[in-house]
Amino acid sequence: MKRPTIPLARMLQLGLWLLRRERASGEWRVLLLALVIGVGSVSTTGFLGDRFKRAMSEEGARFLGADLLVTSPRPIDAWPAHRLTQSHALEFASMVSRGDAFQLATVRAIDARYPARGTVKIAAQPFEPGVPGRALPPPGAIHVDQELLPLLNARVGDRVQIGAASFLIAGVVTEEPGQLGGVFGLAPRVFLRADDVAQAEVLQPGSRVTYLYQFAGDGRALAAFTAALKPRLDRTQRLIGAREGVETLRGAFANADRYIQLTALISLLLAVAAIAIAAHRHAVRHYDQAALLRCMGATTADLRTLYIAQLATLGVIGSLAGVALGALLQASLAHLLLPDAVARLPALGATPVLAGVASGLLALAGASAPALLRLVRVPPLRVLRRDLPPLPVAAWISALVSASLLLALTAWYAGEIKLVGIFLGALAALGLVLALLAQLALGLGRGVQKLSYGPLRFGLAQLLRHRFDSTLQLGAFTLALFLVALLALVRSDLVDGWRQQLPADAPNHFLVNIAPHQQQAVAEFLARHRLAASELYPMVRGRLVTKNGQPIEATLPPEQADASTLRRELNLSHTVTLPANNRVVAGQWFGQRRAAEISIEAGMAERLGLALGDELGFVIGDQTIRAAITSIRSVKWDSMQPNFFVIFAAGQLDALPASYLAGVRVPDAASGVLPEFVRSFPGVTVLALDKLIAQVGAVFGQIISAIQLLLGFLLAAGMAVVVATLLASLDARQQEAVLLRTLGAQRAYLAKGLLSEFVALGVLAGLLATVCAEIAMALIAERLFDLPLKLHPWLWLALPAAGALLVGASGWLTTRHITRVPPMQSIRALG
Amino acid sequence: MTPPDSPRFPAGAPSALPADGVVIARALSQRVATADGELAILSDVDLAVAAGETLAITGASGSGKSTLLGLLAGLDHPTSGKIVLLGQRLDALDEDARARLRAGRIGFVFQSFQLLPALTALENILLPLELAGRTDARERAAHWLERVGLAARAAHTPRQLSGGEQQRIAIARAFATDPQVVFADEPTGNLDADTGARIIELLFDLNARAGTTLVLVTHDDALASRCQRRLRLVAGRVAEAMPA
Repeated sequence: MKRPTIPLARMLQLGLWLLRRERASGEWRVLLLALVIGVGSVSTTGFLGDRFKRAMSEEGARFLGADLLVTSPRPIDAWPAHRLTQSHALEFASMVSRGDAFQLATVRAIDARYPARGTVKIAAQPFEPGVPGRALPPPGAIHVDQELLPLLNARVGDRVQIGAASFLIAGVVTEEPGQLGGVFGLAPRVFLRADDVAQAEVLQPGSRVTYLYQFAGDGRALAAFTAALKPRLDRTQRLIGAREGVETLRGAFANADRYIQLTALISLLLAVAAIAIAAHRHAVRHYDQAALLRCMGATTADLRTLYIAQLATLGVIGSLAGVALGALLQASLAHLLLPDAVARLPALGATPVLAGVASGLLALAGASAPALLRLVRVPPLRVLRRDLPPLPVAAWISALVSASLLLALTAWYAGEIKLVGIFLGALAALGLVLALLAQLALGLGRGVQKLSYGPLRFGLAQLLRHRFDSTLQLGAFTLALFLVALLALVRSDLVDGWRQQLPADAPNHFLVNIAPHQQQAVAEFLARHRLAASELYPMVRGRLVTKNGQPIEATLPPEQADASTLRRELNLSHTVTLPANNRVVAGQWFGQRRAAEISIEAGMAERLGLALGDELGFVIGDQTIRAAITSIRSVKWDSMQPNFFVIFAAGQLDALPASYLAGVRVPDAASGVLPEFVRSFPGVTVLALDKLIAQVGAVFGQIISAIQLLLGFLLAAGMAVVVATLLASLDARQQEAVLLRTLGAQRAYLAKGLLSEFVALGVLAGLLATVCAEIAMALIAERLFDLPLKLHPWLWLALPAAGALLVGASGWLTTRHITRVPPMQSIRALG
Repeated sequence: MTPPDSPRFPAGAPSALPADGVVIARALSQRVATADGELAILSDVDLAVAAGETLAITGASGSGKSTLLGLLAGLDHPTSGKIVLLGQRLDALDEDARARLRAGRIGFVFQSFQLLPALTALENILLPLELAGRTDARERAAHWLERVGLAARAAHTPRQLSGGEQQRIAIARAFATDPQVVFADEPTGNLDADTGARIIELLFDLNARAGTTLVLVTHDDALASRCQRRLRLVAGRVAEAMPA
């Protein structure tokens, strides 16, 4: 006769009933706490990260003038359906004249909605700061760049001629989005109403016109629109996202993105570690219960149902609480930190909440799988023999279950498989090294123990007696300290890097279109006014047309076939000195050599598949010039210095008509110099970068505060690991303390012993974490963040001290009561 | 292969044992590997317990009493030999099938009580009833709580109860499902003499009323003498089998 199995529903019910009963006794507290803190920190970093990313996109949009910009040589009439705000403009070159004076200008004909994002500032006079206003001039009027006025001997209020129509200069544009986009060699800007273009009669069939379409809206609508639009665009049309518009910010955005990813990933790992430790403790504490239930007739499957029901319930509760905590914290912190951005950011939707809960459950499942598998395999005989361990589960099964669950979760969080691979590989190697180092360190501890006395000696002896447990604890503490330290290091190196990128003496003005004969005079003017300036770089405009004799387009991989580098004219320069902020990464700088050689920027080389030795052909004016690549440079685009994709060796461009370019630092006190400069050199364009620099600085500032905040949250997750580990060892410690007190050990002695044990663990963990952090930093700094390699001497003191303090204090707090409880009470409590 | 349902030993097997036993063991041996070679904990134990019978397994510490109890209850499987519990050959069943066999039909009383600390007295008795899916679980638990004289302590957790009270709860839990067999492992081992005596009274009283088969392990002669039969183990072998 075969007994029927226990119905599933009954086991579920029983599981939940036991769960409810155990809640009263606080049995679930540790695991629940680990879950809440873990999911809380993961979702806080997730939410904050998400919002910061959006805030960064917003900043980018302010620079670009739109969330999305589409440029096209032809009008685009049909758009995918969208709910975005849209602004149309067309841009063309045209002569502007007044009396005898005339100047080529870049005319942008705009509608009332221009710009879709960001602001335009209009001033009544040149060199005034201007007030934010509408870019759109009144009918029959124009807004102009201040550089245009001296070139035409004009003032605000004068009339100028464009084509067949005459226009009133209504104001000076002092600030506009997208300023840096085409800094070099751009003719001064004129803003015109789109509906005034016709009367000027400047556009003929075949005229070169660029149609600009700006879009703004929320992220999801933009993403959908972008996806629908991309396949419709041909290779002459470009789609530019908010973060791609400005070279200066691109690197900072990418690094901040990586940092946010890394933070989310590390907080996830810390959460998983805390949950795994708590789940293990939980399982161990339930061995007796499981054995008893088996005696009463529960099968392995019954127990699995029961404990999975319990864990799932707990997981949902803990994750929801964690997500709620995360949402609450990120909201209040984002308000404190980014008051401007928050108001415009959409509220949290259901998706991140669900994602938080799902990741909590997945983390719990992955982290508790080994413990759970052991728990359901407790032999019923344990009811008679308390020391009997659960039947061993094939290690690979639990490892496989955990690893696959956690891998899926990690991949989800990291977003890119490469990062996951690097990270998990490093972590696995680290685990191995850690175990070895921890054993070694404990061996050294033995030496120290011989030299110590009293409670300290006892504390160290305790550590060594429980070698296995101590190694585990040491590993957990080290992991927590290491991961937090790693992020702290990346943060401080990133922040330092950003601060250095915008040094106090960075140029804040560019002088463009300096004629060859003005070189000397300009240099003298700058010297006379003690203005720090860069070298004067000659600038020749040309198009890249061939590679090794073949048309360049034919040599490109298909995904690069519409590379913008090919469609626009490049600013070519020649110099014998490698510019500051440039570093040769391949080949050799030609220096004084006069030869058909060029040096190209590394990113361009990569995009166009160029290598050392390739011969490139450029069309400059009516000539074609060929030169071989002899060096490849990395360029710091965010340095605010004049930078070039292509630099020629001396001798090839010398004969060609060139204009010169210099970056100059004009201190605030000397700003009166500029009108004088413009009067002295009417043909030279002065581009003001100071506002842009201030804006870039503000963006960096926001990113820096954001990542500091994320780091703070990670600390909480690290603490959760430490506390979970300590609590997991509580039962064993309590048993021992009871025994020792029964044997006559004094409370103070025990307390000091415990404290020395924790402090020693903390110091050791700190030292190990320092080693790991330095190694990991060396590995990722260059690859992930493009940061220079360096040692961090302060870390070697700070981390052990932090470890001693952290582990010592939390160890003391979690265990102090075990020395206070009367032994009899403890004995009864332990059953 | 014997069908698992076979209530008897297969034909041809020596039939020196009473065929109607509720608990039957034959040539039971348990050996473990140690650093010094194989150690025999039980050797060649034969026994049979009839329905409603009470049997005491006695012997010195380490004589293999508890090991035998664990084997008879199907909590462990022997190195060699055969066991029939409630008509089922245990060696033909895996661990989960043995668990199903125990559900609701076997009760346990342990030396260390084994009450779940998070549950109240009443809930501890309720647990096996819930597991067995008894619809009248709550009433039965309350009834059994009253039978062991602890109705007033229903809401107390084990920590708030004395050792004797905890063992009474454990006894109520063992009998609550109307089991056919109750296994008791040193039920008075953790109690003082007076309390122990009262527990013995309770155990035998309930057993007599329910007509349950009782197998208990003890080194307490007073307790052993209350059983109908006694089996003394010396170094894992049956040294003496006699009516008490």
